[in-house]
Amino acid sequence: MTAYTKEEVLLQARDLCLSYGDTCILRNVNFTIRDIIRPGLQQGQVVSLIGRSGIGKTQLFRVLSGLQKPGSGSIGIRQRVETGGPGVAERSAVQPGAGVLCQEHPVRPGDMGVVFQNYYQFGWRTVQQSLLLAARQNKALACTEKEAIGHYAARFDLSGILHQYPQQLSGGQQQRVSIIQQLLKGSDFLLLDEPFSGLDVCVLDKVAELLVQVSLSDEFKTLIIVSHDIDTTVSISDTVFILGKEAGKPGSTITREIDLIGRGLAWQKDVRKEKAFSDTIEEIKTCL
Amino acid sequence: MFKPFEKISRQSFFVMVLLQVVLTLTIWQFSAGGLIPTPARIAAALGHLLTTRLLADNILVSLLLTGQAMFWSILITLGFAYLSVIPFFSSIAQFIVKCRYLTLTGLIFIFTLLTRDGSQLKLSLLVSGIVPFFTTSFLAVILNIPRQEFELCQTLGYSRWQSLYEVIIVGKADQVFEILRQNFAISWMMITMVEGLSMSEGGIGTLLIKYNKYNDLANVIALQMVIFGIGLCFDYLLGTLRRWLFPYTR
Repeated sequence: MTAYTKEEVLLQARDLCLSYGDTCILRNVNFTIRDIIRPGLQQGQVVSLIGRSGIGKTQLFRVLSGLQKPGSGSIGIRQRVETGGPGVAERSAVQPGAGVLCQEHPVRPGDMGVVFQNYYQFGWRTVQQSLLLAARQNKALACTEKEAIGHYAARFDLSGILHQYPQQLSGGQQQRVSIIQQLLKGSDFLLLDEPFSGLDVCVLDKVAELLVQVSLSDEFKTLIIVSHDIDTTVSISDTVFILGKEAGKPGSTITREIDLIGRGLAWQKDVRKEKAFSDTIEEIKTCL
Repeated sequence: MFKPFEKISRQSFFVMVLLQVVLTLTIWQFSAGGLIPTPARIAAALGHLLTTRLLADNILVSLLLTGQAMFWSILITLGFAYLSVIPFFSSIAQFIVKCRYLTLTGLIFIFTLLTRDGSQLKLSLLVSGIVPFFTTSFLAVILNIPRQEFELCQTLGYSRWQSLYEVIIVGKADQVFEILRQNFAISWMMITMVEGLSMSEGGIGTLLIKYNKYNDLANVIALQMVIFGIGLCFDYLLGTLRRWLFPYTR
């Protein structure tokens, strides 16, 4: 089995509740995401939130992103703060040598990178302009925004469309632009709402591979994927949280946590061929 | 051609329109009589008008006044519309919207007292007439902005002022142009009314009133055609300018 340890808490949802009038949507949602350490490797985290349609995944997504305040409960995230001197999190690949300190605080809008389901972009900005707007929000990229855009565009095969408008792009290109935009903003967390919906089989694998690459780009990079495409999502995740309902209780909550690393199903390219993977998928389906 | 949702070629469309115009003019030519001038008489009057400096001078006066009115109207509208997202100014913007139901006729005397000369009176009346319609159109644009545009700003860590700048000021600049285009028709229509109030400076409205006074219907209709033509030209010009300035616009 791959050697790993789970260390400091990166995100903690505590007793999240959300109601609309008398209708309880989310009830006591609790989960924790920890930093996974693999010796000699830069390994981010990929967590999936799986649930049936209408269970409250999008509401949880909005609460996690800070776009919607929960009725009660809180979400604490650990964020890097530059100190100028050596810090506790120097293994960060973003700014080697710079002092970085991790601090926990309640999530606010803008703390997390968010990729919406329809990959929404400003229709009046070209891809280059949109990416520049995001890069300018990232102090770590000061004066090197254009170089960073060029680097990401080349890596994500978007160099040829930088001067086009969102409406001129294909769905796949729009998705990659959305992801790069949020990466350029520099947040450690990337929330993705249904990133695999509406994609054909060939593109699906490319997007999954892309997300794996993103997770490997930084030790603290944490991807939270909200999806109902169980197969693809689980194949790239290290942890699965199942959002469901408990008998006799209103609202949805986390009913199950599955540690895919413990089962030997994380970080493997051909994981779908393994029997343990099929068994896990069946197990998840029965939980829904 | 007579089926619902049937698509016809551009060429067929132009041929159809040409035939419709010829048919209308023929019916008009043979059915007109008495006081209603025939198309031939109107064409002769139009030909004569176009050769005189009188028409060009008066059109220039009207266009200058419309241009000034449009400039001030846009300035006032944008100011109040942008500020309408701030609760303190929201009520003022809403009041301006409701002013569409105020008729200017009863307020002309008050405007006369408040302004220095005829030129200012015409300008202030035009601006007062246009601004409520401009504001209504632009507030509708702001109200219909998808929530996701503001949420994208939030996810990028923008402040509220940055969101206002990006989504409303920059993002809706093309819509301002479209509203300008739509509302140009209102100001162009109003110009003939306000020019009748102070006739010393001339203008196409003054000319129209003069011909109307002597029941010179051939010249009145010829002049109406000129007004109509100029309106269409500006509509086309503003539409082209919008597509050139904002290539992303539909």
